[in-house]
Amino acid sequence: MSAHQTDSTLDPVTFEVLKNSFVTLVDEMAEQILRTCHSFVIFARDFSCALCDAEGNTIMQGSQDIAVHVGTLHLKAKAVLEDFAGDINEGDVFAVNDPYRGGTHFSDVSIVRPIFSDGTLIALAQANGHWADMGGSTPGSFDVSATDHFGEGVRIPPVRIVDRGVVREDVIALVASNTRAPGAIVGDCHAQVEATRIAEQEVFRLIDKYGNATVVTAFGEVQDYVERLTRARIAGLPDGVWETEDHIDADPAAPEGLVAVRVRMTIAGDEIHYDLSGSDPAIASFLNAGAGVAFSGAIASAKTFMPDIPLNSGFYRAIHVDVGPQGTVVNAGWPIAVTGCVSGAYEKIMNAGFELWSQLMPERAMACCFNLEYLLVGGRDARSDERPFFMWYDWMAGGWGGRNGKDGQNATSPVFGVGLAVQPLEGQERLTPVLTTSHEILPDSGGPGRHRGGCGVRKGGTVTAVEDTVMSYCCDRSRAVAWGIMGGLPSLPHGVWLNRGREGERFLGANFSNVAVVPGDSFERPSAGGGGFGDPLERDPAEVLEDVADGYVTVRRAERDYGVIIQEVDVELCEYRVEEEATERARAQQRAERGGWLAEDPEQVARRFRNGELDTFDLVRHYGVILDWGTGELLPRTTVQYRALLRRRSAAHWREA
Amino acid sequence: MKAVSGTVVAVDVGGTFTDVCVLHHESGVLEVAKVASTPDPIDGVLAAVAQTGVELRDVALFCHGTTVATNALITRRLPSAAMVTTRGFRDVIEIRRGTRDDLWDAYADNAAPYIRRRDRLEVPERIDYAGTVVEELDEDAARDVARVLGRRGVEAVAVCFVNAYANPAHEQRMEEILREALPEVAISTSSGVLPELFEHERFSTTVANAVLSPLVSGYVSELERRLQADGYQGDLLILHSGGGVMTPEAVDKLAVRLAASGIAAGAVACRYTAEQCGYPNAIGLDMGGTSTDISLVHDGELRMTNEWYVEYGYPICFPSIEVLTIGAGGGSLATIDGAGSLRNGPQSAGSTPGPACYGAGGTQPTNTDANLVLGRLGRQLAGGGMTLEPSAAERAIRDEVAEPLGLSVPAAASAIIKVANANMADAVRLISLQRGYDPREFVLVVFGGAGSLHGVELARELSIPTVVVPPRPGAWSALGCLMVDIRHDLSTMFLTRADAADPEALEAAFAELEREGRRLLAAEGVTDDRVVLERSIAMRYLGQWRSMQVTVEAPVADLSAATEAFHREHEREFSYRRDDAPVELYRLQLRAIGRTDDVRMPRQEPQPGAALPRPTATRPVWFDGYDAPQETPVYERAALPAGVQFVGPAVIDQLDTTTLVPPGVLVETDEWLNLRMHITEGS
Repeated sequence: MSAHQTDSTLDPVTFEVLKNSFVTLVDEMAEQILRTCHSFVIFARDFSCALCDAEGNTIMQGSQDIAVHVGTLHLKAKAVLEDFAGDINEGDVFAVNDPYRGGTHFSDVSIVRPIFSDGTLIALAQANGHWADMGGSTPGSFDVSATDHFGEGVRIPPVRIVDRGVVREDVIALVASNTRAPGAIVGDCHAQVEATRIAEQEVFRLIDKYGNATVVTAFGEVQDYVERLTRARIAGLPDGVWETEDHIDADPAAPEGLVAVRVRMTIAGDEIHYDLSGSDPAIASFLNAGAGVAFSGAIASAKTFMPDIPLNSGFYRAIHVDVGPQGTVVNAGWPIAVTGCVSGAYEKIMNAGFELWSQLMPERAMACCFNLEYLLVGGRDARSDERPFFMWYDWMAGGWGGRNGKDGQNATSPVFGVGLAVQPLEGQERLTPVLTTSHEILPDSGGPGRHRGGCGVRKGGTVTAVEDTVMSYCCDRSRAVAWGIMGGLPSLPHGVWLNRGREGERFLGANFSNVAVVPGDSFERPSAGGGGFGDPLERDPAEVLEDVADGYVTVRRAERDYGVIIQEVDVELCEYRVEEEATERARAQQRAERGGWLAEDPEQVARRFRNGELDTFDLVRHYGVILDWGTGELLPRTTVQYRALLRRRSAAHWREA
Repeated sequence: MKAVSGTVVAVDVGGTFTDVCVLHHESGVLEVAKVASTPDPIDGVLAAVAQTGVELRDVALFCHGTTVATNALITRRLPSAAMVTTRGFRDVIEIRRGTRDDLWDAYADNAAPYIRRRDRLEVPERIDYAGTVVEELDEDAARDVARVLGRRGVEAVAVCFVNAYANPAHEQRMEEILREALPEVAISTSSGVLPELFEHERFSTTVANAVLSPLVSGYVSELERRLQADGYQGDLLILHSGGGVMTPEAVDKLAVRLAASGIAAGAVACRYTAEQCGYPNAIGLDMGGTSTDISLVHDGELRMTNEWYVEYGYPICFPSIEVLTIGAGGGSLATIDGAGSLRNGPQSAGSTPGPACYGAGGTQPTNTDANLVLGRLGRQLAGGGMTLEPSAAERAIRDEVAEPLGLSVPAAASAIIKVANANMADAVRLISLQRGYDPREFVLVVFGGAGSLHGVELARELSIPTVVVPPRPGAWSALGCLMVDIRHDLSTMFLTRADAADPEALEAAFAELEREGRRLLAAEGVTDDRVVLERSIAMRYLGQWRSMQVTVEAPVADLSAATEAFHREHEREFSYRRDDAPVELYRLQLRAIGRTDDVRMPRQEPQPGAALPRPTATRPVWFDGYDAPQETPVYERAALPAGVQFVGPAVIDQLDTTTLVPPGVLVETDEWLNLRMHITEGS
C-alpha cells in the first residue's frame, strides 16, 4: 500500500484534520435541519447534506444520510452550476428538485449555496430534504397512477431563491403556493437555507486557519483518498462478471408478468462497472427511476459491502454505472413518472446488487430485504369545525435478509435509507383522525432459512372523523416477493387490506391511489420480512424452538417451513419441546417431496388455496405460485417467472434426500 | 437534612477504578485515593474509603456516583422482567424507530430490547390522543396476565399503555391489579415514570426503569446498610444522570435516573471548577486511558439532553447531562489505514497489553507512547510506581507510523498526537460550535489521567484562551458527586399555541408539578427554606418537531416574555428567528431542588510574587512548532504555592498526572491550587 504522501501535497496531519472537519461540517448541517424542520418526513430523517467542490463533485456527504440520496447530490450541484454558469454570485442560494437532472423525486428539494473565497467560487453546500407535499393530484404527491410528471408535483429546475443575500420571496411563494402545505414548505426552506449557511461559516473558519489554498487542495485530496481506498478494496476482489435480475410486480398497462431490472457487474482490476442497460422498458406507473436514482442504487449496493469507506465523488471514480438508454424502468427520462422510484426500480437495483455482492463476499452475504412502502390517507379532519386538510403518511420498518452465520434484522428501516425513522403513532393520532389499532411484529414473516430473514411488521388502523378522504399506497413485491438466497425461502406478499374480516373486505394490492374511505373503515398491511439464507431444513431445531417461544415463528409454520415438530409443554410459561424423531421424519419427507411441489399444476395449487387447504406462505415459499391475493385468481405468466427464480435462488441449493 | 460540616466523602465507582475524595472542612485537607473496582462494587467503595484512613462514624456526608446502572444495562445482567401493554403494541419497543446505529454495515446489529418478546404481554384497552377511553381495560384479562406473571416469577413489570400520558387511569388500574397479585414485584408505569408523548420513548424509558429497579434499589439499600454498619450516620446521596443527587427513597421509584450517574460526576466537577475560578463558560475534558468525556458549561449551567441511551435505539428520556464520549485516550492506537492515512483510535490498547512502553507485549503505538517519545511524559509514572520503556515506544512508532509515512520518529510521534487532538477538537466542536457556542468564549478544564498532557495544544486548536487543571486531576470527577443539590425533574405535556394558552390552566398545571416536587423533597427531609422550584417551558415554532426549553418566572403572568426568550434562544442556537411564525407550547417542566450545603475546598492565600521552587529535573521535550527538543524544567506540583506565576516550557508532575506547559504559555496557581494556563498570541 502506497503511503499517503505519494500522490498528495498535504501533510498527513493537516489532511486528516481537514477530512474530519468536513465530516463534522456536514453533520452540523444535518443536526441544524433536524432541530428546525417542519416536515415530519424530514424530521423522520429523510434528508441529506453534502459539501461539493466548485465542479459540483461531492467532497463529503453526511454520515447519517438516506441511501437513495447517495450519488445524486453531486448531480444536482452540477445542474445548478450548469444552468447558472457565469451568473453565480456571493450571497446566492439555489433550489432544485428535478429528477430528470439527477434528482430523486419531486419531494426531495435540494437547497444549494455557493461558497466564495476571495471572490472565487470554491465550494457548494447542499441540504436536501423531503418536503411533505409538492402538489400534484394526490396528497403527499404520490400518485401511483401517474404516468407522467404533470400529475406528480412541482418540478423545480435549478432556480435562484436568494439573490446576493436578498431572499426572492416571489420564487419561494411560487413553489409553496403549488403545494398543500405552504407554511411547512416555507419553514423547511428556511431550515435548509440556514443549514447551508452553517456549512459556509465552517468553511470560512477552516480557510482562516489553514488558508484558502490548503482547504481547496483538501477538497480534492479527500476525494483522492476515498478513490484510493475504494480501488484498493476492489483490487483485492476477483475479476469477473456477475449478473442477475430483480423484479417489479407488473406494468399496469401490460398483461401480468414481472418487470425485470437487470444488473450486470464487471470487476476488472481496481474498477467496477455496473451495467443496467438490459432492463425492461419504462412502465405505466410511477415506479420507474430516473438516471440519478439508478446510479445511486448501484453505488449504494456497493457501499453496503464496503461500509467503512467514506462516501464522496472519489467512490464514483472507481465504480462506474451505465444506466443504459432512456425509456427503461431504470432510466425513464422526461416526462415519465418516477416519484415511486424508491419503492420501484431503486429497491430492485439495491437488492440485485446484494445478490451479486453476496457471491463476491460470502462473509457479508445477505438475502433480499423488505421493500420500502408508504401508505397515505389524506382528506379533511372532521374533528374540528374548520375541517382542516390532513395527511397521514406512514411507512413501516420491515425485515432484512438472512445472513451468512446469522438471522436477518427484525423490524429495521428500509434499505432506501436506514436512517428513516418510523413515526410515533401517538404523534400521528394527535395530528390526524386515524387510530392505529396495532403495530406489531408479524409472526412467520421472516423468510425461512438456515438463517432466518428478519421479521416484518403489521400495522392496522381505523379512520375516525374524516371527510372527503382517500387512501393511496406506494409499494411493490406483492408478486416479486422478497426472496431468499443459498436455499433460503421468500417472505410474504405485500398489500393492503380494507375492512379485513368484515363487511366490505377488499384486497387493494401493493400499489393503488385515491381509494375513498369513510369513518369506521379499517385497514391493515404487512411489511415483509427478509428472505432466508440457506436451507431451512438445516436450521438448528433449537433455534426454531426459541423463535416459537418468542412468537417470531408459529408452531404450524415451524413444521411447514422448517420441518420441525414442536410440542406445547406449558404455553403460559412459553415452554415448548422439539419432537426430535418426528422432526427427522418430517424433514426427510419434505426433502423428498419439495422438488415436486414446484412442478405441481399451478391451477390445482390455486384451487387448493381458494378452498383453504393451502395458504399464502405455502404458495410463495413451497409451490412458487403467484395469485391475485384478493381474488385468488392465478397469474400464470408471473408464476412461471417466479418459479424459475425460486429454483435458481432456493431449490438449486438444497441438499436432496 | 443536616447542615454539613466536618468530613465529607465522595466516591465515584467507574469501570476500572473506584475513586474517593475526602474533604476535611475543618482542616481544609483534601485527600484522594484510588483502588481497583471490585466485582461487588460496594467492596471497592469501602476499601477506597478505608485507604484514606477516614472513619465512617466521623463522616458528615457521603455522596456517591456509580456506574452500577450503566454497567447493568451494558452487560445485560438484569433481573427477570416483563412488560404489560395495550393489545396490538407489544412490539413497540422492538420496532423502535426502525433505525440502525450504523447505516451501512448490514452486519452491525442493534441490541435486542431489554425485555424479550415472550415476556411482553397484552391486555385489551385503548385510550385516544385526547385521553378519552376508546376501549375499557379488560380487568379479567388484566388479572389473568397478573396470574401468568406470577407463575413466571418475574421480579419487575413495566406497564406501558398507548396514550397513557393523556390519561393514566388504565395504567394505574393495571398497577393495582398487579400489586394485588404480585406484592413483591417492582412495578413501573409509563405515566408514572415519564408522562410524555411518543410511545417508544416513553415505553423505552419505563422498561429501563423496570429492569433497573430491583437491581439499583437493592444496591443502594445494601450500600446504605453497610455504611451504617460501619458507623456512618449521615445521609447517603446518590448522583443521578441529571447532575443532582437523590436519596435512596427516590431511587426506589426512579432507578433509571442513575443510568448515567458515573458519567455525570466529571461534568459536575468541571462546572464546579469553572465556577470556583469565576468562568461562566467551560468545556470539560476528562481524558482517561481509553476514552474522553466532553461536557459543556454555559452561563454556569451544564448542557443537558433529553435523549440519552446506553444502547442505540433504547432512549432514556430524562434530563441528562450531555456528555460526549469518544474513543480517544492515552491508550488509543495509532494506525495507518488502507489508503495510507494516519488514524488515531477508537481502538485502544486497553490495560493489557497496554501501550508499547508498558513493556507488556504491546507493539502498536499509542498516545502514551508518543508522549513518552516526545519527552512530554517522564519515564516514571505514579510517583515511581511504574517505569516506562522509551525504546519499546520508539520501536512501535518507527515500525507502524514513521517508516510507512517516511517521517522521523519524533515527527511521527508529533503527528500521532496532532491527530488525537484533532479528533478531540472535532468532538468539542460538535457540542460547542454545532450548538451555537463559540469556543473562544470558553475555558478548557482538563482532568483524568491524560487530559493535562493534551490540554494546551487542544485549546490552541480550538482557539480557547485558557486551560485549567484542578489540583487532583486523576480523581477530580469523584468530587462531582459532592457538588450538587437534591434535584427532581418533573414534567407534563401542555400542547397549545402560545397565543391561545389559558394562563389559569397553565398556572394550575405548574402548581400541580410544584405540589409534587415539594412532596418529594419533604419526604426526603428537605426543609422548606432549602427548597427551590424552577419552571421552564419547552416551546417550538408551530409545525416544528423539536422543542427548546425556556426558563420562566412564577407565576407566569403572560407568555410574551417567554415567547421572546424562545425567539432569542432559537436565534442563538440556529442563527435565525421567525417573529411572524406562531409559537407553540409543548411541555411544562419543573426542577424541584433541595439545596445542600456548599462544599468548601481547601484554599491557600496567594502570596504575591510567590517564588517558583527549583525544578526537580530538566529533560528534553519536543514541542509543536520546534525543530529540536527544548531543555525543559520539571516541577513537582505539590511544591507549587498559590500565587506563583511562570512561563513555559515546563513539565509539572504529580502522582496522578503530568501537565505539559508549552513554551510561552503563562502558568499561574490560584488560591484553590488550580493551574491556570493562559495561551497568548505567539505563545
